[in-house]
Amino acid sequence: MTGRSGGAASPLSGLSDRILVERASDGDELAFGEIVRRHSGIMRAYTSRIVGSLSEADDVVQEAFSTAWKQLPTLRDGSAVKAWLMKIASREAFALIRRRGTDAALDDGIDVPARDSTNPEAIAVHNARLAALSKALATLPDAQRTSWLLREIGGFSYDEIAEQTSLPVSTVRGNLSRARASIMIQMEGWR
Amino acid sequence: MNEGHSVALECGKTVDELSDYLAAGRLPYDPDIETCPECLNALDALERVGTLSRSLLEREARELPPPPANWFDRIMDVVRSEMRVGRSLPVQHPDPRVQITITEGAVRALVRSVGDEIDGLYIGRVDIDGDAEVTGAPVEVNITGTIRWDQSVLDATALLRSAVYEALAQHTDLNVVAVNVTIEDVHDFANGEDES
Repeated sequence: MTGRSGGAASPLSGLSDRILVERASDGDELAFGEIVRRHSGIMRAYTSRIVGSLSEADDVVQEAFSTAWKQLPTLRDGSAVKAWLMKIASREAFALIRRRGTDAALDDGIDVPARDSTNPEAIAVHNARLAALSKALATLPDAQRTSWLLREIGGFSYDEIAEQTSLPVSTVRGNLSRARASIMIQMEGWR
Repeated sequence: MNEGHSVALECGKTVDELSDYLAAGRLPYDPDIETCPECLNALDALERVGTLSRSLLEREARELPPPPANWFDRIMDVVRSEMRVGRSLPVQHPDPRVQITITEGAVRALVRSVGDEIDGLYIGRVDIDGDAEVTGAPVEVNITGTIRWDQSVLDATALLRSAVYEALAQHTDLNVVAVNVTIEDVHDFANGEDES
């Protein structure tokens, strides 16, 4: 009746991630469907930045949800399901990149259509910051951008990033360091 | 090998050091950093950029075109092909040559549907603890749930307990010695008053 988000409101849409995960772990497919609806958007946006195309990201996220369904009973804290899904999606994205050969990743960012401009000033400033960050990310070399995304969005440790990207930890550390430096310098105007 | 690309502040700290400190939740407390205006500025900026990265992705997520038409269905197909059935629990039949079992997954689904019928209540996890594969062995049913913000926990759990006893007696041969309910969440706040 009063679903918070748009679309077909399931009676489960008002429930917390924790309860949904418990139900889905017990085999409730409706609860899992609600988890998919709730978190697939951010996973698609994230993986499309890693693999470089939305259609491939759709495959990656689909694969990630298959894995997630099988492994869900091992997730101890259901309220952490979003971060957990992002990690699975990262792994699936890198599996895809390894399958197709390493250097085709991240050719260019996804073009985000500008939002309509009826927004108040605060949103305009926020959007400008987002645009600046988007631009800063776009200018980074692929390896740096990937490290940045895995660290800031995926929440991976240096060791985990090294494992995913098949790079030594020292290289990952260096890439992140360079990424941070360029982003901070480019974002300076938005303090 | 000296990786001379890390930006250093005038106070001598590098952006990398500050980033690691931030990632560690600003623990253990570093008085040098926490009392240095330059470091604090840089920490703020790093934190903002991290938050901004997540906002950027969230905005992109909202603006992405929807996935292909059968995308969701294909995920659910995988789900249905890998149902969690659990143990097989015996059900008695007058003819000793006939063996009937009900899966643990089906019993869980039964408890869920009985619980979800109760106004303001949704079931989380259902555990059947005990040697349920042996006919007549005592089992405890442990249930978690969430309650709507305006409901009484006592009333709802009492209703749930008796409904579960009744349903399990009717549809299974489980020797249920206890039904324990833990309400671990409250839902649908937003319907009561508008949260920002």
